[in-house]
Amino acid sequence: MHRRLLALGFAATLALPVLAQQAPVPAWQQSRSGSTNASPLAPHPPKLTATAAEQVPVAALRVPAGFKVELWASGAPGARMMTESPNGTVFVGTRTIGRVYAISEEGGQRRVRTIASRLTDPNGVALRDGNLYVIAINRVLRFDGIEGRLDAPGTPTDLTAAFGLPTETHHGWKFAAFGPDGRLYMNIGVPCNICEFNRDTHALIVSFNPDDSGRRIEAKGIRNSVGFDWHPTTRELWATNNGRDWAGNDTPDDTLHRIRQSGADQGFPYCAANWRDPAISRGPASCSEFSAPAALLGPHTAALGMRFYTGTAFPEAYRNQIFIARRGSWNREQLSGYDVVVARLDANGTVTGVEPFMTGLRDEAKNRFLGRPVDVLVRGDGSLLVSDEQNGAIYRITHGN
Amino acid sequence: MAHRLPAAAALLAAVALASAGAAAGDAGRGAALAEARGCGGCHGPQGVSAMENIPSLAGHPDEFIALQLILFREGLRDVPPMTQLAQGLTDQEVEDLAAFYAGLPAGHVERPPRDPARYQAGAVLAERLRCGACHLADFRGRAQMPRLTGQREDYLAHALAEYRDGTRRGTDTNMNAVMFGVTDAEIAALAHFMAQQ
Repeated sequence: MHRRLLALGFAATLALPVLAQQAPVPAWQQSRSGSTNASPLAPHPPKLTATAAEQVPVAALRVPAGFKVELWASGAPGARMMTESPNGTVFVGTRTIGRVYAISEEGGQRRVRTIASRLTDPNGVALRDGNLYVIAINRVLRFDGIEGRLDAPGTPTDLTAAFGLPTETHHGWKFAAFGPDGRLYMNIGVPCNICEFNRDTHALIVSFNPDDSGRRIEAKGIRNSVGFDWHPTTRELWATNNGRDWAGNDTPDDTLHRIRQSGADQGFPYCAANWRDPAISRGPASCSEFSAPAALLGPHTAALGMRFYTGTAFPEAYRNQIFIARRGSWNREQLSGYDVVVARLDANGTVTGVEPFMTGLRDEAKNRFLGRPVDVLVRGDGSLLVSDEQNGAIYRITHGN
Repeated sequence: MAHRLPAAAALLAAVALASAGAAAGDAGRGAALAEARGCGGCHGPQGVSAMENIPSLAGHPDEFIALQLILFREGLRDVPPMTQLAQGLTDQEVEDLAAFYAGLPAGHVERPPRDPARYQAGAVLAERLRCGACHLADFRGRAQMPRLTGQREDYLAHALAEYRDGTRRGTDTNMNAVMFGVTDAEIAALAHFMAQQ
């Protein structure tokens, strides 16, 4: 036992730029030590079969007074990141099941089409000038004129070589979106739980010109950001981030970051949520040289998709506030997250609080979950969509009536 | 360590309840479908395989069976003939087959006699690689992680080599990381140890 602890401590301390596939310990188990060594916690399994509409737990969902939540679409197993076309078609990325869906309104019903499949974690979907970009792990595809070709999307243009993304699978899935500057932004996660690595190639948010040239680092030292958006008036980039595992039930928090300058350093692997991580002995002694997070989002909650509310259908108090989907924890004995929260910003862009918005998917008494919210999307009509990966469903939240 | 086990076991029970959408499969329909599709021709009529390199399916967690069938159907796990045989299966059929095989008793038609040296080497490796952390201490599996006991030794060795060589991944890449750098001789020992449980 002692020998194992020592060996783990040694590995955690020395952790050179070792990539996930070269390590004898699976990435999600790295840096287990002490009391966590005996822990039976492990990532929850995905569900890849369709959940029938009547079995989607929409009746359990709770939203503030005046709001209404309903099932908008189902039968899209593994539904994660969303983007909407000007026509109202919602494109949805996935991870394990390898598909991209297009969900359109037809006669008051939603029709789910699978427009791409057999991809490795095609999590990132982004639209520009009628073309759909799909970012899988180390694959970048562009489906031109997708709206008019939903039944036969044709062979996409393969931009993989041009983008030249890293090939690691762990934390290699992408969130992708076009910024107000017309550039394509995406995250490049770190291929471990906690390790030292090349800080110019991993733990980044990067941007490209749409033609794949001109890579620029937009945020540095951000462990794995699977959701970001731009402030509607200041145009500053804001991003969620997933904190590391196996540092305890309450350490560290997941975080919300305000990227004040392009390339600003958020501190990983040295710092997370204002906490100097003792697993990394080299580097600065304190966190003062890094950007402090704009808000703490709870330990292990898996804060992922986030969007500023830009619509007018919700009360004025929600304008330019941030909705954040928290997919929910696995590395915590008491489950946390499994909800949508709203971060309240004052006129200076300072976060004044983080409040629950959509709850009901976490059963606290039985320590179990009913669904896993991954992304939020403000539609053209001002309603808010929430994707539930576990149930392959999308909820719609409206106000009034 | 031992004094922590009860707490760990209690937590495990809680975590086992954590996942949503327990499979809604019907074992009876699954049995009929397995019969109609001739699954037993290779995997054995009761899910216990008598064929070299063909896995036994009896007693796996239903989630494991369902997820693997979907990986076959989606072309994400490309293993002839299963990739073809899984085409056209509906989600309900996948869950029915999973319920059927999960309910069958695990076992062996026959297995090689125990080799004490390889068994011991395999036991040490199983401890070093911490197989029991996910597959549970008695290796019966849970959720997306398959049962290891009752599996054919040749198939275990085959699957472990595929994970090591990166020609197979599960619903994530954890097994690829576990098997990194494990030698052929170590795989043989590990497979022998597991098949003897």
